[in-house]
Amino acid sequence: MPIFRWGQAFEAFADLEREFDRLLQTAAASARVGRLFPPINLYEQPNQFLLLAQIPGVTAEALDIQVADRQLTLRGERVAPDGVAETQFRRRERLGGPWERTVALPDRVDEDGIAAEFDNGLLVLRLPKTKPSVGRQIAVSEGSDTLGSRPVSSQKLLASRSQPGSATGTPEDQP
Amino acid sequence: MSREAAAIPVVTPPIDIFEEAEGLVLVADLPGVSGQTAEIQMEESRLSLFGRLGFEIPSDAVPVHTEFAVADFLRSFILSENIDHDRIDAKLASGVLEIRLPRAERPQPRRIQITTPESGDGMD
Repeated sequence: MPIFRWGQAFEAFADLEREFDRLLQTAAASARVGRLFPPINLYEQPNQFLLLAQIPGVTAEALDIQVADRQLTLRGERVAPDGVAETQFRRRERLGGPWERTVALPDRVDEDGIAAEFDNGLLVLRLPKTKPSVGRQIAVSEGSDTLGSRPVSSQKLLASRSQPGSATGTPEDQP
Repeated sequence: MSREAAAIPVVTPPIDIFEEAEGLVLVADLPGVSGQTAEIQMEESRLSLFGRLGFEIPSDAVPVHTEFAVADFLRSFILSENIDHDRIDAKLASGVLEIRLPRAERPQPRRIQITTPESGDGMD
């Protein structure tokens, strides 16, 4: 005689719904792994990306977050209840054991500016976007200014090309 | 729009239930729920657990990739009578809620002493 009765219509429906949901999620997310842990959501805001991951049962100290080459790796371990034998379980839906997940970060993320918050098993990563490169005016100098409006001889042009630093200047340094 | 006015979806959290000598232990994953936003309700024989998500998606955030529903958590169970409702105990750490459901101690059969005039008071 089970202590918990699961025969309730509402509960059964909720379970079914959840299973169906999961089926859809996993089908969409990955054909290789049945259930992805931790599940991840990604949002885009004007100035940053927002990444959420559900990692309950893991402390901040035990959570390993690494970013390298546009790859974000989350690593940790979920500990199963201590000293509980398999036979004691009546229902087991939660995942346990070591896990690792690597996701590709969106382009235009400033990897050095990533900030992480981890409260109550919910990881919130803020990934600032890299500053869009400002359209820079590249100054084009025509030979040497000292030449003024005088016609430039081919010999002068060749001379200035061979010494780029002197005659053509450095466009990057100009405001 | 206030959080109450917005249609906040509710999801069913995954749970474990295992037996211990004293009773049952129920463990539920409620990521993003704190002790202040978790609620356990005992009504008759129905145990309901509710967790309000302590995080709100900014209004200017556009979903790019979604694997889980950002939602509050709700799940309820019907408990049988042999759980001692008064001694139900719960704790929440790192987004994991643990509820201990001790079995009610069965009253021990009591032998009723029958007094007879021979064994009654006043006899030495």
